Amino acid sequence: MAIVVRNEGKKVTSDINVTPMVDVMLVLLIIFMVITPMLDQKVNVTLAQTDSAVAMQDASKQDAVTVAVTRDNKVYLGQDQTTLANLGTAVATKIQNKTDKTVYFRADARSHYGTVEDAIDAVRTAGVEQIAFLTDNRESNQPPSGVAGNQ
Amino acid sequence: MSMSTSSGPGGLSSDMNVTPFIDILLVLLIIFMIIVPTTPKGLDALVPQPPKNPQESKPNPLTVVLQIANGANGIPSYKINNEDVATNDLRNKLNAIYSIRAEKVLFIQGDPNLTFAPVAHAFDIAHAVGVDHIGVITPKMQQGQ
Repeated sequence: MAIVVRNEGKKVTSDINVTPMVDVMLVLLIIFMVITPMLDQKVNVTLAQTDSAVAMQDASKQDAVTVAVTRDNKVYLGQDQTTLANLGTAVATKIQNKTDKTVYFRADARSHYGTVEDAIDAVRTAGVEQIAFLTDNRESNQPPSGVAGNQ
Repeated sequence: MSMSTSSGPGGLSSDMNVTPFIDILLVLLIIFMIIVPTTPKGLDALVPQPPKNPQESKPNPLTVVLQIANGANGIPSYKINNEDVATNDLRNKLNAIYSIRAEKVLFIQGDPNLTFAPVAHAFDIAHAVGVDHIGVITPKMQQGQ
């Protein structure tokens, strides 16, 4: 039952070196701090592909009013599903204290345009004049049907 | 003039340890790679509000309306001011109209039975030829509601 004490010299420390672990944790913290605000406000839609879309910095702001129309023609205000009847009043309350009254539309490329038009009408009754259709920049060199060689 | 990296008697190295520096730079690189592509892109458009007193509004003879109709087999067909335009010719026609105009205003009126993609394509072309005010006309707007 004797306790064996190994003679390893006097400078051996038995503490765990936590510095690399803290480094990794801090990096993870920073990465998640950056990513988290981007994860919300996203309704899953396949945006239309366009060539001349311009960057819209304001659309990614927290208080941007975004109306999404999905492929199965459901209408979302922000992340919450809503109906066309309620959309106008909901948008009106959202924009009443804002100076920039732009409403951003994220319409699925395969969605029914009539639904998009109805959503535009609902937003129009809220007094919105400026809207924007968010799209994706076309990356492949395959033009859509009917566009002759613009790449 | 040569820098002598002579190690001391105890094996001391005078080189700077750049590994943490490179670690931090790589992490920053990854963070910015994540941020950059998520800037949203879009096409702006205007929604005309109904006039306050409709009797006084006069029709503007210079108005250009692009109609997108739902043709056979779901292929969209385009009309500019009620004149048929071939799909391939749309960009050239719009360019011919707007290259000589100062008032770059276009109204786009899409068939409600279309999908959104051909309408977005029309917006795209209109932006490409330099139209800076694009109005959306909906069926309810036409009925004056």
